[in-house]
Amino acid sequence: MSEDTKTAVAAAAGKYLTFALAAEEYGLPVLKVREIIKMMDVTGVPQVPAHIKGVINLRGRVIPVIDLRLKFALPLSEYTEHTCIIVVEVEIGGRRVMLGTIVDRVSEVLSIAADEIEPTPDFGEHLSTDYMRGIAKIRGTVKILLDLDRVLATDTVFAQAA
Amino acid sequence: MTNPKPQALLDDIEARIAQLACDAIVDGRGSIAAAAGALAEHVESVGLADFAEILRSIGESASGEAGEEISRRWQRWRADDEAQADAEALRSDADLAGMFVAEALDHLGTIEATLLKLEETPDDLTLLNDAFRPFHTIKGNAGALGVSTVQQFAHTVESLLDRCRSGQHRVGPAEIDAVLKSVDLLTALINDVADRAAGNPGRPLRADRLALTAIVERVIAEGGRAAAPARGQTIDLDTPAAGPAPGPATPAAAPAAASRDAQAVKVDTRKLDGLVDAVGELVIVQSLIYEDPALARVTDERLTRNLAQLRRITTDLQRGAMAMRMVPIRQTFQRMTRLVRDLSRRAGKAVELVLVGEDTELDRKVVEDINDPLMHMVRNSVDHGLETAAVRAEAGKRDTGRLVLRAFHQGGNIVIEVSDDGAGLDTERIRAKAIAQGLIAPDAALADEAIHELIFQPGFSTAEQITEISGRGVGMDVVRRNIDALRGRIEIRSRRGEGTTMSIKLPLTLAILDGLLIGVGGERFVMPTFAVRESLRPAPSQVHCVSGEPRMVEVRGRLLPLAWLSDLFSIDTSRVEPSSGTILVIEDETSAIGLVVDRLIGKQEVVVKSLGDAFAGIRGLAGGAILGDGRIGLILDAHGLVRLLGGEHVRDAA
Repeated sequence: MSEDTKTAVAAAAGKYLTFALAAEEYGLPVLKVREIIKMMDVTGVPQVPAHIKGVINLRGRVIPVIDLRLKFALPLSEYTEHTCIIVVEVEIGGRRVMLGTIVDRVSEVLSIAADEIEPTPDFGEHLSTDYMRGIAKIRGTVKILLDLDRVLATDTVFAQAA
Repeated sequence: MTNPKPQALLDDIEARIAQLACDAIVDGRGSIAAAAGALAEHVESVGLADFAEILRSIGESASGEAGEEISRRWQRWRADDEAQADAEALRSDADLAGMFVAEALDHLGTIEATLLKLEETPDDLTLLNDAFRPFHTIKGNAGALGVSTVQQFAHTVESLLDRCRSGQHRVGPAEIDAVLKSVDLLTALINDVADRAAGNPGRPLRADRLALTAIVERVIAEGGRAAAPARGQTIDLDTPAAGPAPGPATPAAAPAAASRDAQAVKVDTRKLDGLVDAVGELVIVQSLIYEDPALARVTDERLTRNLAQLRRITTDLQRGAMAMRMVPIRQTFQRMTRLVRDLSRRAGKAVELVLVGEDTELDRKVVEDINDPLMHMVRNSVDHGLETAAVRAEAGKRDTGRLVLRAFHQGGNIVIEVSDDGAGLDTERIRAKAIAQGLIAPDAALADEAIHELIFQPGFSTAEQITEISGRGVGMDVVRRNIDALRGRIEIRSRRGEGTTMSIKLPLTLAILDGLLIGVGGERFVMPTFAVRESLRPAPSQVHCVSGEPRMVEVRGRLLPLAWLSDLFSIDTSRVEPSSGTILVIEDETSAIGLVVDRLIGKQEVVVKSLGDAFAGIRGLAGGAILGDGRIGLILDAHGLVRLLGGEHVRDAA
């Protein structure tokens, strides 16, 4: 492990909200999470990429909502009673943006120590890993730790506005 | 007397320093001590005493590099470290500092307006006191916060005003000029210190400050020719709300002003916006409850009554919260007073400015955003509209041009008018220019109104001379864009030789929109009512096909291209037949379209919400609105939709 990767992994340690998408488990830094709400009607917005589902009314505030399954090119499925919107605050281009992310199911909040985190392996050219902070191995399961700012930085609709 | 302008004075000093630096290189050290000494005397005479000190000390130790050293020190001196110290002082208490800045700028606006009135009636003691008091307050507050540059400068100006109001000094043009310039500088100083406190780079204002201090001191020294007759009245500063001083003039105006002040409370705009937001939320939740199907089954009379009561109060609360966002347009108009004064002097034209309806209230945001376009329009009127006295005399008009700013309510709108009794628009010249620029065909037959409209085209300007005042090319197109952004319309009426009136029609508030709720597939949208010319369900005979597809609708003799909202927004639904759906006729300046939607659901007042930066660039959308069931309906932007279709030109069917 290079010094750089070691620092990155150490910095990734902390509390994560874990959730499921298809058969995979992901983690979001808890500090980014504002609240979790039940899936609700989303108003579609024209002329945006498909994974941007539209906007919702969060107690009088209009916030964009993205579908992480679509964003990560996972197979589509019907929304169920477990489907949730995790409302997060991310920083894009120096600006704070509140938005909702649709996930299959919220699992739990985990404290993840530095020694449980592996640096993200290189999967080759066809799979970008820019938006992963690392991979956590906990009780035999693998959780992909997301760097949400980066996930969304590649969305031109957000990047352009920033 | 003529006062040198601070800027000219500084440029002069800078030129002398450059000269001195050159001489030093050519002549060597011998001449520099004498030259620096002479310069020091000059600099001292215009009030820059501390820089004179620097010059003397460098001059005495004159070396080969003294010239350059002086240049360097001059630059550094101008950059101002005192202002930096003030900024530090201001930074220690952000809340207090914010209040100080806001209040001081507010006071300066009042002072300016008062001075402009005082210029008309220089003997009016009430006005003098009205100008003096806020200066005193600014000085006191600046002192308390440790903003010494502002405090010291305000003190100097205050002394001049104090001498005036105690009758030791007569108010003349020199006095008014000096104090007006001081108001400008104080505004700049306060903004600068606030900028610096926020961590931004400051502006080099030190030299202006000292030079203007010197000018004010000279005005004081020159004494304003003898005392006016004894004036007994002074105002007790410890009780500022003590009511009007029975001064010699306008006794009626003062009580109104005083009572208005007494009843007003300053509130941080963020708190206000927070309240308005919360009330908006309350209204939505209230309507969610009211429309809940479960409620329809409730038969309990008391509960029903209480709910109705709750609804009424909520509506009142909303109206009240919205009213709090409203401010009178007075301040904006007052700024124009100053502008007209300066413009008319520079253009050498006598202009009388008449303000009507200053108390007309409109949304705070609108008031802020209307300032720039209004300034443009006033500039245009003074510069291009009104003629010089000689030309006016020839035309048999009064020497003094007349410019009227008027604000009033009309229906659900506010109208702001700028009218002048000047030369009117020269349709021939506008036409020629438009042909030259290729905006219209040489043989185009246009009515006068259509020609007038041309001045709103980007880059259009007929001014033969590019003047210092109105600049060039840019202008009315920017005005139109600004007005568009406020969801308003601008119209122009002009008669050759009689004058021009431009009127801006704006919605009362940007927070609430009168809309038509429309449905397409499973989606609902809000179309602003003002954008819709008419809505109709056409008879099949009105719909015309092109290559087998319905593409045009005939409305009152006009053939309009049809556009389906479902196509424009790629909504997952099948196209509705024009004759079984509804057509909304919408238009921008040049074209109109028939927008086909599935159904018209109803009229609704909605609270406008921004969709956020992420969706700012989407064509055809103006925002979002929370509908009765809590879902969001997108608000359509008619102009954007017309452009989205490619904006085919309107053709006459005949």
